[in-house]
Amino acid sequence: MLSKRMDSVVKSYEEINAQRQSLMAAAADHQKLNSYHDQLMANTVRLALEKVKGELGDPPAPFAFFLMGSAGRFEQSVWSDQDHGIVFAGDDSSKSYFLRAGVEIADALEAVGYERCDGEVMSCNPLWCKSVEGWHRQVTEWLTEASWQSLRHFSTFFDSRVLIGNTDYLAQLKQTAFSILEKQPGLYRRLIDNVDFYRKGIGIFGQLLPERQGEQTGSIHLKQKAFFPYVNALRLLALKNKIYAPSTLSRFNQLPEEDRFLKTYEKDFRALLDFRLKFRRDAKTYKEVHLVPIQDLNRQEKQELKNMMRKGYKLFSKTKSKIEEACPK
Amino acid sequence: MDPIFLMNNVWIMVSGVLVFLMLGGFILLEAGSTRMKNAGHIAGKTVFTVGITSLVFWAVGWGLIYGSEGTLVGFGDFFFGDATTMGEGLAGSTDFFFQMAFACIAMTIAFGGFAERAKLSAYVVFAVLFSALIYPVVAHWIWGGGWLADHGKQDFAGSTVVHLTGAMAALAATIILKPRIGKYNKNGSSNDIAGHNQVYTALGVLILWIGWFGFNAGSTLGVADAFFGYVALNTQLAAGAGAIGAMLIVWTVTGKADVPTTLNGALAGLVAITASCAFVEPWAAVVIGFVGGLIVFLSMKFFDKAKIDDPIFALSVHGTVGVWGTLSNGLFATPELASVGRPGLFYGGGFEQLGVQIMGVVTSGLYAFVVAFILLKIMQKVMGGLRVSEEEEIVGLDLSEHGSYGYPENLPQTNKNTEATGA
Repeated sequence: MLSKRMDSVVKSYEEINAQRQSLMAAAADHQKLNSYHDQLMANTVRLALEKVKGELGDPPAPFAFFLMGSAGRFEQSVWSDQDHGIVFAGDDSSKSYFLRAGVEIADALEAVGYERCDGEVMSCNPLWCKSVEGWHRQVTEWLTEASWQSLRHFSTFFDSRVLIGNTDYLAQLKQTAFSILEKQPGLYRRLIDNVDFYRKGIGIFGQLLPERQGEQTGSIHLKQKAFFPYVNALRLLALKNKIYAPSTLSRFNQLPEEDRFLKTYEKDFRALLDFRLKFRRDAKTYKEVHLVPIQDLNRQEKQELKNMMRKGYKLFSKTKSKIEEACPK
Repeated sequence: MDPIFLMNNVWIMVSGVLVFLMLGGFILLEAGSTRMKNAGHIAGKTVFTVGITSLVFWAVGWGLIYGSEGTLVGFGDFFFGDATTMGEGLAGSTDFFFQMAFACIAMTIAFGGFAERAKLSAYVVFAVLFSALIYPVVAHWIWGGGWLADHGKQDFAGSTVVHLTGAMAALAATIILKPRIGKYNKNGSSNDIAGHNQVYTALGVLILWIGWFGFNAGSTLGVADAFFGYVALNTQLAAGAGAIGAMLIVWTVTGKADVPTTLNGALAGLVAITASCAFVEPWAAVVIGFVGGLIVFLSMKFFDKAKIDDPIFALSVHGTVGVWGTLSNGLFATPELASVGRPGLFYGGGFEQLGVQIMGVVTSGLYAFVVAFILLKIMQKVMGGLRVSEEEEIVGLDLSEHGSYGYPENLPQTNKNTEATGA
């Protein structure tokens, strides 16, 4: 009986994978594309949880499965890797159940085309699968330690949203973070330092600076050189203004009056999302999604890309000044 | 004994030792610029081939350069050992020692093209052939009273004789040996096979820089008028300008202040000023060095695009910049300082000296390349290939060619286990 049920689950993963290609091709815009991703991932995770239920019984506690990274920000391209976690009610006695669920979810998502995360940001990793209490302790510890690595983990965690389960847990955890930051505004500067380094994509003569070595020679790495300044700036602003929403566009929309002047950069970020979809729709792998060969761009497109990049750098720089002004040393 | 004669000889002995010290610079430069698995080999083969070059230079090299005044090659004074010979204010043996150190440098430059893939036996045979048939011929043409010397070719300390000759042999070798495994992808793009220790490379460059004061200032061959100080000044200015030029261009073009390129820029400044250090004014030395720094970056990119794998950038640093250094005489040599040939284009000398310099570069470069190519091709046939097998290249030349690892603690554990069980 059990093996029959498992076979049917595996078959379903394959079916989801088969749907993937047509769904991605049908996505007319960024919004639709990410809705399809949500649909695919939610179906996959539900099937994985069903399988675990078949093995170990019902979940021992209420829980939430949440997404982070580009999925958390609702900013995935046609291919994406996995970044996810689990938060469950009660104490750590339920942990083994949810870790097993995490293992199944990671395998399932991989089977339907989402690469495993190089940095192990997945709910099969005990670091990203904790009880509500455990998560509170973890968030507090990350912000207290305030090291390069712990703040990287915290920033990853903060770009999160619930895909399946109770949304309150995550909101409570973000609330914890806001309280800590309010009491220790010096942390904002540490958070700026944590993301202040990025490789510029434009040289001093205004030329694009593509990759110069390896198979990506001649390509611009969009994620590092164009997206990061926008994403990091709006995350910092979200932390400062207690904005719970993870997506960069939602964060733009929820900026308070005093930061409204930064909203002018929203259209540039939208243009960047469209640009990526236009040029990387046919990407065959996750790696390719971020790389735009500059020889494929005409003069005007190169100019557009440079403008979007420049705006991103300006946005980050203004955000940095604004936060540093508000949080003196 | 005449105190000036004695001082001349002391100065040139010290300079010869400084030039010899440059080989230590090359060991660090090459080892740092290549991978860990080849480090012991790179360092060891340099010492070994210097031994071969020294003996060959003693046996025939010196004689072919300075033996007698012939147009194409000298003849006589083989197996040099005359303690009584005096010439140019120097004891013959002092001059011999100084010139031998130059031959060793040219040989080491040529071996840059062999790095990380040539068999040890290829080094041994080519060390003999290069030291006997290639270097002495070009050196004779320019320094030994040969046909280019008759035309007034200016090459004070050897931009052409040492650097270009070595680099042309390196070019022939790297074309025949083909790129290292993993250097180029199927789509034609190239990978950066980073050297294992930038600190070694930087220290290597600094040692070379110090040694260059012997190379250039020692090429005064005496202490008259303390002119060596002026030569050292120009050398220092060009090296500094080269480093700055390379750092600026790599940062401008790629957005990154790349360390290996900057280090190559300092070397480029040194190579560029080598031909002209005694013939130009200090401001010109700055320009020559700075342009050398720019050229070395462009040349590195050119060879990379042309799929000519140059692991330690010998072709760019010594070849392309060697050409620039030689030609720069034809532009910047001043009437007061041009003790050989004529003033340069910017000092009213017209195109005459520039023409001589171009002729010198083309003929010397062609001779070194063609003869090296033919000799290496013959070696390839006779020796059953010049390159180690794919397996040997992957495991590294330390193990494949010498049976021991330059960094023994990093020897893969499995080998130890195999030995321990006697399997």
